[in-house]
Amino acid sequence: MEIIGERINGMFKDIREAITNQDKKPVQDWAIKQTENGATWLDVCVGPTAGDPAAAMRWLVNTVQEVVDTPLSLDSTNYDVIEEGLKLCKRPALINSCHADRYKIERVFPMAVKYNAKVIALAMSEESGIPKTADARVALAMELVAAADEFGLPLQDLYLDPLILPVNVAQDHAIEAMETLRQVKMLSDPPPKTTVGLSNVSQRCNNRKLLNRTMIAMLMASGLDSAIADANDDDLMETAAAARIIMNKEIYCDSFVELYKTNHYK
Amino acid sequence: MALTGLDIFKLLPKKNCKECEQPTCLAFAMALANAKTSLDKCPYVSDAAKETLGGAAAPPIKLVKVGTLGAEREMGDEVVLFRHDKAFYHPTLLAVEISDKLSGAELEAKVKKVNELAFERVGQSVSIDMMAVRNDSGNADAFAAAVKAVADVTCFATVLITEDPVAMEKALAIIGSQKPLIHAATEANWEKMVELAKKYEAPLVVKGKGLDATADLVEKVAASYKELVVDLGTRELSQSLAEITQTRRLSIKKKFRPFGYPVIAFTASENPRDQVIEAAAYITKYASVVVLKADEKSQILPLAALKMNIFSDPQKPSQVEPKVNAIGNVTADSPVYITTNFALTYYTVEGEVSASKIPSYILACPTDGTSVLTAWAAGKFNGDKITEFIKACGIEETVKHRNIVIPGHVAVIKGALEEKSGWKVLVGPAEASGINAFAKGNFA
Repeated sequence: MEIIGERINGMFKDIREAITNQDKKPVQDWAIKQTENGATWLDVCVGPTAGDPAAAMRWLVNTVQEVVDTPLSLDSTNYDVIEEGLKLCKRPALINSCHADRYKIERVFPMAVKYNAKVIALAMSEESGIPKTADARVALAMELVAAADEFGLPLQDLYLDPLILPVNVAQDHAIEAMETLRQVKMLSDPPPKTTVGLSNVSQRCNNRKLLNRTMIAMLMASGLDSAIADANDDDLMETAAAARIIMNKEIYCDSFVELYKTNHYK
Repeated sequence: MALTGLDIFKLLPKKNCKECEQPTCLAFAMALANAKTSLDKCPYVSDAAKETLGGAAAPPIKLVKVGTLGAEREMGDEVVLFRHDKAFYHPTLLAVEISDKLSGAELEAKVKKVNELAFERVGQSVSIDMMAVRNDSGNADAFAAAVKAVADVTCFATVLITEDPVAMEKALAIIGSQKPLIHAATEANWEKMVELAKKYEAPLVVKGKGLDATADLVEKVAASYKELVVDLGTRELSQSLAEITQTRRLSIKKKFRPFGYPVIAFTASENPRDQVIEAAAYITKYASVVVLKADEKSQILPLAALKMNIFSDPQKPSQVEPKVNAIGNVTADSPVYITTNFALTYYTVEGEVSASKIPSYILACPTDGTSVLTAWAAGKFNGDKITEFIKACGIEETVKHRNIVIPGHVAVIKGALEEKSGWKVLVGPAEASGINAFAKGNFA
């Protein structure tokens, strides 16, 4: 299970201020903390308020890479900003993310191939939004799989995101996402990888951590390979470690939780 | 395994004409993958695509049979790369090679010797599976004579090794009805060899040179005959292992049809001991047939044992035969231990008992191969069951005394066992590692 640590994001106040003041400490502290707790990837997102997002992305990438060698997930809706980051990444990065719209695919997939990067691909299109049913999501996932094949992006480098919505307002979506995960694994051989923005399931809910970790176990059983999540939620990481063991992905040992955190499961 | 949506999509014409009643070829591919429509709905799909789609349901490696009646053996039909993922199903066939340069009494003696390569091992009979006759002389009549000498005595299937169709035809006239393995069709002779194989309905080895050339040749031959075995032509061990591994991976993981057949391997070394080691490597790494020249019982027995081990089902607990086992120079006064017939349990006890240097009997009680506590919990290792076994196994006629040592973990069955069996029960140590001290204290 690859955890994409979500914390270095300009949506959080400490990171936003760090970017504004060019203060490396908060960013580097989070990079180290998430890595030490088992994050496989570190998501970096400049957030909505940065004046020059490309400069902010360059600064974030360099700042993080000064203290850890954990690969980065470059998170932006602006692909030029992502490309600025890709140029600086010392290890193959993850592009977060691409919709199933043709014009976006044509911009992102060749860029991913050029920089040997992986891509989070969303089973939604910009114009029609998030489909309700699993069938409609799988159809979009199939478009993305066929496009990966077309552009020469290895299928294992495609991280399909079936999309999950907050359970308090879109309660009927989670089960469709699970069904999507199951079907996505049948689309190709080797199958694409899968990911979700996990914390989304509990937006503005009570007991967020309980919802998050229950969700990750259920999604993993449906075929989830990675999640953008809070790598410093120990209960969540332990749940992921336990699910790996129960699914026979790792050989059991008494210290399976500690091993999960140190191995990063790349 | 069924084809994936992407596999199907790649075979479609990509016209997006909607004649299949789906909006796009991509949607049609998805519908096919989910069995929601049929391929006939698309009028533009090529014959090659139809064959690929139709063949997707076939097993990754074809089952091919050699020999007839009691000598019949099956090859291929494997589904995994590692036995712990499921199991390996069809044990590697061992073939011992005989040269047609031998003649007269020499040939007769050799055939007789090879024919006797059969053994009893842990209660099972094991043997080689095939005799291979090689046309070293280059002479068709000498080959036929050697094949005749084999046909007269053999109880095994045969492999006929010559690339000369004339020699092969003569040999098949003698032994063809017994479905021998024909070795080999090559780039030069394959049309004639296929003709012969068809006539006798015998399996045919296709021999190429390395992965690419062999795949091309198999494809050509498979268009007219499908009872095939693949020979990559490589004889150097490390290269050969790499190539055989590729054929197994490509057939199972990529459904690559030209390698969807069993594979034959030949040992290359002149030294019989090295041949045995080579053959062992081929048994573990996917060869369906191994041909070797080594013909001593001491050389074949370890290979037969390895075959049994590698091709055992990892899901089933390994068992020992339930019987009385004598350890060392036992007498009618030797002590008697009882344990279960789970191999792991039994051999742990056996190791400790023999280490104690006190000749003893060990009874392997039939518990369906389960350990002491598992068997006890399942009611297979209690006063009744053990008594039943004591009476049936013959130990009462073997020893004069009536004392039996039981595992310490099941001390609770002592009373019931004494009552039922009439034997005096000694509770042994809980762990087998304590047997040495226990034996010295009680029996020395």
